[in-house]
Parts: sequence; structure tokens; C-alpha cells
Amino acid sequence: MRPLIVAQLHERRRSLLSWGLPIGLWSAFVVAIYPSVEDALAKAVASYPEALKQAFGIAELTSVEQYLNAEMLSLIVPLAVGYLAVRSVASGLSGAAESGRLDVLLSAPVSRRRLVAAAFAAAAIELAAVLLVSVLVTMLGSVLAGSGLSFDRALAGYAGVWPLALLFAALGVVVTGWSLHTAVVTGSVAGALVAMYVADLVGRLDTGLDWVRYGSVFRYYGRAVEEGIDPLAFAGVTAVAVALAYVGALLFERRDLSA
Amino acid sequence: MAVIETEALSKFYGAARGIEEVTVAVEAGEVFAFLGPNGAGKTTTIRTLLDLLHPSAGRARVFGLDSHRDSVAIRARLGNLPGDFGYGKRATGREALSLLAKLRGLDGLGRAEELARRFRADLDRPLGQLSRGNRQKVGLIAALFHSPELLILDEPTNGLDPLMQEEFLALVREERERGCAVFLSSHELDEVERVCDRVGIVRDGRLVAVERVADLLRRTVERRKVEVEFSEAVELSDVRAIPGVVGAEFARPTLEEVFLTYYRDEGGGEE
Repeated sequence: MRPLIVAQLHERRRSLLSWGLPIGLWSAFVVAIYPSVEDALAKAVASYPEALKQAFGIAELTSVEQYLNAEMLSLIVPLAVGYLAVRSVASGLSGAAESGRLDVLLSAPVSRRRLVAAAFAAAAIELAAVLLVSVLVTMLGSVLAGSGLSFDRALAGYAGVWPLALLFAALGVVVTGWSLHTAVVTGSVAGALVAMYVADLVGRLDTGLDWVRYGSVFRYYGRAVEEGIDPLAFAGVTAVAVALAYVGALLFERRDLSA
Repeated sequence: MAVIETEALSKFYGAARGIEEVTVAVEAGEVFAFLGPNGAGKTTTIRTLLDLLHPSAGRARVFGLDSHRDSVAIRARLGNLPGDFGYGKRATGREALSLLAKLRGLDGLGRAEELARRFRADLDRPLGQLSRGNRQKVGLIAALFHSPELLILDEPTNGLDPLMQEEFLALVREERERGCAVFLSSHELDEVERVCDRVGIVRDGRLVAVERVADLLRRTVERRKVEVEFSEAVELSDVRAIPGVVGAEFARPTLEEVFLTYYRDEGGGEE
């Protein structure tokens, strides 16, 4: 399986620059301007409606970690990296089917299940690498601007995105069991990503609708940059992602790979 | 034991017919052609043998193994050229072959370099920059580089120029000598006639005839026309004067013959 993973990572090596660097630079900018906006922010946040603060996870903005969470880690990074996750796994499966690579690989003695496992594992590594680049560039911004961002907290914040994104990669595998069209796979999973985010948001805004949050992985996302990683949520979401990927592999094994 | 054996193999796509009750056997060291027009069911048969498609009915055995259950073990022993060889745009042929070699547990690239020289294939350019014919050469190398026991080739000469088609046919003969079975699909009658031992004619998804190529030609072609080559110019009237000859005319060479003659005289390069 290792050669397949290495080949897919090699194929997608540019995502470190095209995803990791922009996310990192944007986060670095957010962190870098924090010292100059700190006082104004505290006053502004104090005037926000309580429901709004609760919905977007803004208790108060009195630290750079809280500001990073509010600006980047509560919305932009999970949505962007979640979308990257499905793109990554789709490139190894539906994209490979569209380009003809799947036919070539399945001429060799490799099982479909192994092919899916390699695509999923490569996506997991790619996501980790993109998040690592993002956190390193963010830390650079903090150091240069003297923002005082804690490396451990920043690392926890970006690491917390990984299982969530992995779940969308797994959903991508499941959809590949039905469709080998990349547009269908990425479109449907991106739709699920946004729908889950909105469901979580609605559930937090209206306590009467709190139950809808159980259908969203964002319920288990938390605020790792402020509070550290919740090991149970981290492991639980990762386990669900792996289980979904396994189901996807079974579906992929049973389907026809049409010309 | 037959290398490939199908029994009433059928594949339907919903209500649409792919192939229906195809029963055929291919022996070791035999070159077998599946002959038919586009859409006849040639590719469906090949993809079912490779377990890319699951049969709706019937069964297929390759090396005596079940084509679905034992697919991985089967693919370890065969080489396959898909109808349109693709591997993405950025990777080079060498990178593609290197991955396939690793998946096959090979240390190096096997016969790839030798085959690349023979087909004049560029393994170091990204596949997206190659013409269809040059990609097809890389595909042929990928099918052959590990010296398989069975070659499954879906319209293998698609995109190849006449010179490379000749090289390919020579290679198929060599593979047969080595004991390799070859199952190829084609709609090129000339190519089939020149290299295949037996042919299966497929029409509307059904196998309508399986014959030795020589028998097929003997039965279907009325042998009244003979092409004769003279070492020097002759008058047609002299030929017509031969007893039993009712007509004679000069044959115009085909473009393919002119092309091949030119390149043979040059001894040379393809591009």
C-alpha cells in the first residue's frame, strides 16, 4: 500500500503551497494584527448580542488564541480543509477513474479495498501536512509581530481540524461507492459540509433546536486552540471517519468500474 | 488447461446489453482476437475478465481461477492495455511504470527500457504532453514489462503509426513464442489476419463465430485473385496471355505500403 500512498502524495504535493500557505498566511495576518486591535476588539465584543457570541463561539476576545479561533478556526479553516479533504480523496478515486489511472492501477495485483485505503491514508497525511504548514506560518506571523501566540495552543487548534476534515474525506469515499464523477463526489460532500456547519450553528442559536447538532460533526469540533484537544471527541470522530471509509471501500469493491 | 475460459458470460447495464452468453476458451501460447465494430461488446468482455465489471450471469475463469474472487492473483500474472491508456497528466511514463513495478513486487523496471528503445517511447516526458500514440506506447510497455503469462490488449494499435504497428505485431509473435497467451480486441482485419491464431467475431454482444483465422479466410474468401510481383517491368498483355488468366491490372500500392517502404529504406527514425 505504501507505493500507492507515496504516489498520491507526490501527485498532490502542490497542495502544501496552494492550501497550506494561503491558510497559514491568512492566519498569520490575523495573529499579527491582534496586538494593534486588542483593545478595540474587547470593547466591540462586549457590545455583541449574547446569542451571536454563543453561536460563533466568541466568549470574549481577550487573547490572541481567542481571536484566532473567532477569525479562522471556527469557520474558515474547518470549511476550507474539509473541502480539501474531499478533493484529496476524490483525486485518488473518482479523479483516477476519469483520467484512466484507475484502470492502469487495477491491472496490477492490488485490491480495490487497498486502493481505497491508500487514497484515504494519503488524504489523512496530506491534511496533516497542510495543517502543519498552516500552523508554522501562523507562528511565524506571531513571532514577527510579537503577538505571543502559544505554539502548543496553535498546534492543538489546527490539529483539532484534522479529524473533522478526515470525516469529510470518508464521506467522499462513501459517495465514490455510488458515483465516479468527481463533480458529484466533491459537490455532494461540500454540500454536506456546509449543511452540517449550518445545522450546528442553528442548534447553537436556538436551544430548542439543539438536537439538530447531533447530526453535525461540528458539534464535536470544540475550541481546541483555547481549551486544548478533547481526546474523546478527537478519537471518536477519527474512529467514525475510519468506519465510514471502510463502508465506502466495501461499496467501491462492489460497484462496476465502467469505461 | 485454458488460460481464459468463459461460460455463458453476460453483462447488462440495466436494460442495456453489454455482452450476452459469451463462451470462449483461449489456450497458452495462442493469440486470440475478439473482432467486432465499436459497441459490439469487446471492451465489456475485457473489463469483465479483469473484474472491473461484475458479470450479470455466467462466469469467467483465468488461469483456472475465478475472475472475481481471485482477481488479485490473476492480475499478478497478466499484462493489460486499456482501450485508452491514461495515467493523469503530470506523471511521466517512468513514474507510472515505477509504481506498477512496485505494486508487482519488482525491484527494477524489468524489460521497460528495452521495450522503450524498441517502441521509441519517451518515458521521461509528462504523459499529458504526449500524443495518443506515444501514450499508447507507454501503455504497451506497462502491459509487457514484467513478462506476463497472459496479455489482454484492448485495441492495442490505436494511435500507433504503421511502423510501430509492425513492431507491435512482431512483439506479439515473440510473446506467443515465449508461451504467452494473447487476448486482443480489434476492428482491424489486417492486424488480426497477420498475427492471430483464432478469432472470435462478436456482434451485438454475442459471439457469433470462433474460427482459426486460416479457416475463416478459406471459407469466406473466394481465392481467384493472386498478386504477383515481377523483378522487372512487364506488359499486361503478356500476363493476360497466360492460359486461365481472364484479367490482369497494375495494383496501386497503398499509402501504408509506401510509408513502410520509405522507412525501411531509410532504416529509420519514427519522428
